[in-house]
Amino acid sequence: MISLILLFPILGCLILFLFKNRTLNNTILLVYGIIHFLCSFILFFKGSNGYEIINKFFNIDNTNRVFLLTLSIVYAAFSVYNFGYMKNDPSLTRKLRHYSYAVLLFVLSMTGAVLSTNLGLSWVFIEATTLASAYLIYFHKTKHSIEAAWKYVFICSIGIALAFVGIILLTVSSGSLNSLFYSDLYTNAQMFNVFWLKLSFVFILFGMGTKMGLAPVHFWLPDAHAQSPSPISALLSAALLNSAYLIVLNMYRIMTLSNVETYSKIMLIVMGFLSLFIAAVFIYHINNYKRMLAYSSIENMGILVIGLGLGGYGIIASYIHLIGHSLIKASYFMTSGNILKLYGTKKIKSVTGILAKDKKTGWLWMLSYLGICAFPPSILFISEFLIVKQMLKTGHIFMCFVFLFLLTIILYGMGKAVISMVFGKISPTKEENTRKLPLSMYLPQAILLSLAFLTGIFLPCLDIILSGARGF
Amino acid sequence: MENIFIILLGLTMVYISSTSRLKAHINMLKVQGFLLFIICMLGLHNDSELAAGIFNNSGINFSYVIAIAFIIFETILIKAILIPVFLHKVLKNTKVHRDTEAHIPHFYSLVISSAVLFLGFMTANIHTPDFNLISPIYFGVSISIIITSLWLITVKKTVLSNVISFITMENGIFLLSLAAAKDMPVIINMGVLLDLFIAVFILGMLVKEINTEFSNLEVSKLSDLKDYE
Repeated sequence: MISLILLFPILGCLILFLFKNRTLNNTILLVYGIIHFLCSFILFFKGSNGYEIINKFFNIDNTNRVFLLTLSIVYAAFSVYNFGYMKNDPSLTRKLRHYSYAVLLFVLSMTGAVLSTNLGLSWVFIEATTLASAYLIYFHKTKHSIEAAWKYVFICSIGIALAFVGIILLTVSSGSLNSLFYSDLYTNAQMFNVFWLKLSFVFILFGMGTKMGLAPVHFWLPDAHAQSPSPISALLSAALLNSAYLIVLNMYRIMTLSNVETYSKIMLIVMGFLSLFIAAVFIYHINNYKRMLAYSSIENMGILVIGLGLGGYGIIASYIHLIGHSLIKASYFMTSGNILKLYGTKKIKSVTGILAKDKKTGWLWMLSYLGICAFPPSILFISEFLIVKQMLKTGHIFMCFVFLFLLTIILYGMGKAVISMVFGKISPTKEENTRKLPLSMYLPQAILLSLAFLTGIFLPCLDIILSGARGF
Repeated sequence: MENIFIILLGLTMVYISSTSRLKAHINMLKVQGFLLFIICMLGLHNDSELAAGIFNNSGINFSYVIAIAFIIFETILIKAILIPVFLHKVLKNTKVHRDTEAHIPHFYSLVISSAVLFLGFMTANIHTPDFNLISPIYFGVSISIIITSLWLITVKKTVLSNVISFITMENGIFLLSLAAAKDMPVIINMGVLLDLFIAVFILGMLVKEINTEFSNLEVSKLSDLKDYE
């Protein structure tokens, strides 16, 4: 199963290279979406039993199970949405083929990063995600997309290089142990040198935090998310950020096992609150709706690390939050693609009356907003509720107050923009786009949103999902 | 013996921070590649298994040959030849030869980078039990190279010198990995190298695009995307 997931994209690139056919591009992406989903589904329930050499480097365990399934659901939705999105695009066949190559390699490297059992290998794949997605951000080839791509590649490469410094320091701290396999690191964590371990955690948190979009090092994120094509933004936000988070999670586990987690907790919580603060400040006066969603991603990544830093229920909450955020944010970004197709602008002020212009898009936009703001049936409600509960349980009343206050500002800022966009008269656009959007541009979001709201009422396989939260 | 070359490596950073000709920077990258090669080769003899040389009791020592082949590939071929040649090409295309007016005059740059290098030597003299795990001089110089490179990225004005500083930072990290004196599996080493090379390649392509689209290479021009008017 694992070898099929990892080998298919390479095969797909080869097929695309040999048969230069326009319709083949989207078909290959769709087929990979289905294969990826089926394989992940089987891996999620059954575990893997493949070749030993592959299982040594890539395997599924309690921690990354949820990450893999989330990634494949998001990618499956992406591949369906992409079918409709790229159909109307008047771009050249050659450009579209490069796009397909880049998407396949991008998903391959994310899957590799999630599945790998070796810290060094995870690093290699995370850097590979940067390189594969650079072309996707640069896809429109405008002045702005060059700027965004430059910032993305440069800032992320530096951040990830610093994470590599962290990995080297981890090998120093591990003394006579000459291995970077997570299982070896976990069993020997007690014997690590604490000084170097703390130093390495700082580097890895900042390096992977760059990729995750945590606050002091988030600068590439709004630019890249706003400039890339909308389906790509969905993949970036809902899948890429998670795979960087997985490494932070594994590092945190090592810190816990060597009994220095207090140190890491402080850093995680500070970075998390800083992310919330930055998101609140910028969302309040936002004028571009794709950037608004990007800042919301920063906010949600902040919530993830706050949950991790709190411990206890917080870790369960961050697992649940990860699933919910990926489902809802992917649908949110895809719907923003619909709006972009309908109105041809990213400015919030120039878009009004979505409900009157296209009822389905309007409803999807509203429901995604309600979902991301943790409106009760949404699964995010449970996770944020658990985080607040954990804060109150450990007696951090002031922290809880700040948390809720910042979330309220973000809710207000986003709500203001969303409501002014959805209601009112249809705004006049430069070129009237009367073409109807295809069904494949509504269906994925509807499925993702109904998943997010249904799992808020009943979460199946709770045992398997929460098995990753144990052992901290 | 290798300490001399490590110090020379530190001094190349001082030179880079005090000149403005981009061609000189690229030449320094070549020098760094060769110095890293020499340091690696000298470090190889500290390893008991590999110290025997090409021939040991049972014929040809394959692990030695593979180790040397990889070092040559990594340092000479990639770091000293391929990357500088590629950057030369970019330089020719963009027709920008100088990083004129950096934000700080060259004299102060010289002073600051020397001070950082000095601090690096000072850290090499810390004698606590924690520092016994690492080779001190490698550690001190590599940290100073990383810090100087990060600082140069903030100070220099053209996009191309940012790429050059990024590569020198990677060289510093390479030296740090020698300080840990642990070898990672070849698959990971290859992956790291491939990533670095592709990253430089993509950055170089973007530099060309920036040059055509913005008609020069100043970093300050890249500020259209923002949240306020």
